Amino acid sequence: MTSTLKGITLKGSAELVAEFFSFGINSILYQRGIYPPETFTRVTHYDMSLQVSTEPRLNNYLTNVVSQLKEWLFECSVQKLVLVITCLETNEVLERWQFDIECDKSAKESSSAPREKSIKTIQDEIRSVIRQITGTVTFLPLLETQCSFDLLVYTDKDLVVPDKWEESGPQIIDQSEEVRLRSFTTSIHKVSSMVAYKRTDSACST
Amino acid sequence: MDLEDDTTILSTLKSFNTFISRPERPQLPSERSAGSGVLQSQYKRSMEILEAAERVHSQNRFLQLDQEKKQMELSHKRARFELEKAASNSARDFEHELDRNQDLLARVKKLEGREFEADKNLSDQVEENQVLRRNLEAVNKKLEERDTKLNTANKTITSLKDELRELRQKIQNQDLVFSAQTLEKQELQEQLDLQRRKYQEILQLCQTLQAAQSSCSEHIIKIKELERRLILQEQDMAIVKTIKSEAAKVTDLEKELKRLREENSFLRESRENYNLLKEEAEGLGKKLERMEKTKEELVNVELEKQRLVEKLQAWENLGQSTGLNIRKPEDLSREVIQIQQREIALKEQNYTLNSRVRSVERLQSELRAELTQQCTKTMEEQKKREAQDALVRRLQKRVLLLTKERDGMRSILESYDSELASTEYSPQLNKRLREAEEVLQRTQSHNSEMEVEMELDSLKKQPASSPESSSSVSKEEENTLRKKIEDLEAERQRLEEQNNILEMRLERNNMQGDYDPVKTRVLHFRMNPSSVAKQQRQQEVETLREEVTTLRELVRSLQEGGGMLHAQDSSGIYTPNISLSLPPSKEVQDLRKQMESSELRNQRLKEVFQKKIQEFRTVCYVLTGYQIDITTENQYRLTSVYAEHMDDSLLFKKGSKGSMQLMETEFSKTLGEMVDLHLHHQKSIPAFLSAVTLDLFGRQTTI
Repeated sequence: MTSTLKGITLKGSAELVAEFFSFGINSILYQRGIYPPETFTRVTHYDMSLQVSTEPRLNNYLTNVVSQLKEWLFECSVQKLVLVITCLETNEVLERWQFDIECDKSAKESSSAPREKSIKTIQDEIRSVIRQITGTVTFLPLLETQCSFDLLVYTDKDLVVPDKWEESGPQIIDQSEEVRLRSFTTSIHKVSSMVAYKRTDSACST
Repeated sequence: MDLEDDTTILSTLKSFNTFISRPERPQLPSERSAGSGVLQSQYKRSMEILEAAERVHSQNRFLQLDQEKKQMELSHKRARFELEKAASNSARDFEHELDRNQDLLARVKKLEGREFEADKNLSDQVEENQVLRRNLEAVNKKLEERDTKLNTANKTITSLKDELRELRQKIQNQDLVFSAQTLEKQELQEQLDLQRRKYQEILQLCQTLQAAQSSCSEHIIKIKELERRLILQEQDMAIVKTIKSEAAKVTDLEKELKRLREENSFLRESRENYNLLKEEAEGLGKKLERMEKTKEELVNVELEKQRLVEKLQAWENLGQSTGLNIRKPEDLSREVIQIQQREIALKEQNYTLNSRVRSVERLQSELRAELTQQCTKTMEEQKKREAQDALVRRLQKRVLLLTKERDGMRSILESYDSELASTEYSPQLNKRLREAEEVLQRTQSHNSEMEVEMELDSLKKQPASSPESSSSVSKEEENTLRKKIEDLEAERQRLEEQNNILEMRLERNNMQGDYDPVKTRVLHFRMNPSSVAKQQRQQEVETLREEVTTLRELVRSLQEGGGMLHAQDSSGIYTPNISLSLPPSKEVQDLRKQMESSELRNQRLKEVFQKKIQEFRTVCYVLTGYQIDITTENQYRLTSVYAEHMDDSLLFKKGSKGSMQLMETEFSKTLGEMVDLHLHHQKSIPAFLSAVTLDLFGRQTTI
């Protein structure tokens, strides 16, 4: 729908960002081996081939989170999305993929016109971000133990907490190394990504 | 007298107080001098009054002291009287005491004499006591000796009694053992009989079994032969059936054969025709292909022809359309070359024009930048000038105000000066004078500073206003201002660095995931994969723990069960309190029973052997008269019943061939004659031994 229109509306931008998160989270799960690679299937999007999970419970969880996230993006009340990877045995946080979201609140007004930015440039930017995420595998430390992941959302304080959501801690890694990755913007939402990982001399023991 | 003095004092004090409490009026300097003379007289009067008061006070005190002295003398006299009385009393007491003392001394002497006599008696008594004690001791010793003798006798009696008891017990035990052994022997004999009978039965069974087996094998062989014959017959039957069927088919086959031969001949003929026709068809087909190809080529050629005709017409028309004098292609090429040349020239012009345009644009941009700079500068200058104008106006106003103040103060001072000349100087006037002078100096200095500042400002605005002199003062001002500027700049840089550091820290915290709890909240889905995984893990851990506990209990029970069996002689298995216990197999039970029974048997046999051996040895000892002990391998020690000492023994060694040799011992040295006679001459050891026993017996009985 947004590809036929010339400009980007707030709703269209929220959909684009939510779609990016959905594919991005799937590729991170595949790259870091949280779920076995045989449970993933290849699809084409953003002019590149991406890996998407086929496990129904995981997909159900992701659709729940992403749909809620889309609503919040439309209301411009979300500040960050964090994917936290924890070691199951010791409950230590090993990796933190943080996506900062800056929303241009002036687009919320009904009088504002759609912004002029072509879908193709946005998709190019998203593609470069996902390629960079894939490339981070070279320097991130190996996850040797069984791990599980969680998605945290940093929202405004005055937001009403929906039914199935609850408050949580920030789950910060102690002694972490941070690397800032590329960012992309739809001219209404700007998403910058970074990854923080636990330093290897104090890694989780098997 | 005192009261009169007091009243005069009080009255003088009252007058003094009233004089002091009168309010002081602010006086003019003329009244001040007259007032001072009054004050002085008053002061003198007051001093006189004070001196009078003091004198009165001293007189009062003197009288008081006199009175006190008289009182003291009275008290002194009274005290003396009392002391004299006391002294007389004490003298009387003293005389009484002396008399008593003499009485007591006489008594003491009498008592001393009595004491002396008593001491003598005591010593006599003591000597008698010692003698008696010695007698006692001797008697005690005798008693102790008798006691010890009695104790030893008692001990021997008890030991003999114990020995008696032990011997009786031994006898009883031996009786019991003997009876038990007889019983066992009977049991074993019965078991033996049973076993023999069983053995015979089994033998018979074996024989019957063998016979049956042989008959069985014969039967089996017969059966196999019959089976083989059956199979052969069946095969023959099958062959017969197939042959019958084949015979029926023969007639049909003959008919078919005829038909097929006719067909064969017909087909051979037709084959030749077929080959001929095939060749013709091939030739025709090839011709057809060739024709079709030529047709296509024709079509293509015609199309080409049309195209070429059109082209030619176009080319011919070119000359007409362009309006040039073209009849031949050479003209066309010439025209083309000309056009190309024109094009090249135009391109060169184009490039030069582009380069000119670019340079012009650059110049324009530079000039624009300069213009903006100049505009900003002029704006700044204008602002500065306006500020300075405002400052100048303010300063001028201040100067006016200050000059007015100064004039006023001057007039005040002049008025004061004029007034001062008529009267004397007082300290307060001096002070005021000094203050006024200070104020004047301050204002003068301030005024001078203002003038200097104004000059500085005017110096700064040199292009706009007229320049002033006094450059030295302005330089000082400049230096101070420069220092201020440098300080401010340094602070600014420091603050900038701090700011950068804080920003970096903030950025780092943001990257790590920190957040401001006042503005943000962290949410996550309740049923998220990590919580689900944790729950699963916990459940797994719990199940594993339960398994572990059950397995441990199993292991413990099995270990206890194994230990119990070793201790008990039972056939039953210890059943644990778990539902997962494995029932031990029957084989294990049987084996365990067998093991126990065999162990018991071993033990019994050992006991029996030991007893038999002991019996045999005692019998030998009794009958032969020698106790034979095996000291080491092949060495035998014989001790006689009638041996005089415990160590008297004969050593015999078994040689390699089996002969016994007597070894030398101390006892054997005493029997040298008998050794020679019986061993060397007669070469009979039993004779030697019997001779030794007879000799020892003879010795024993004589002694």
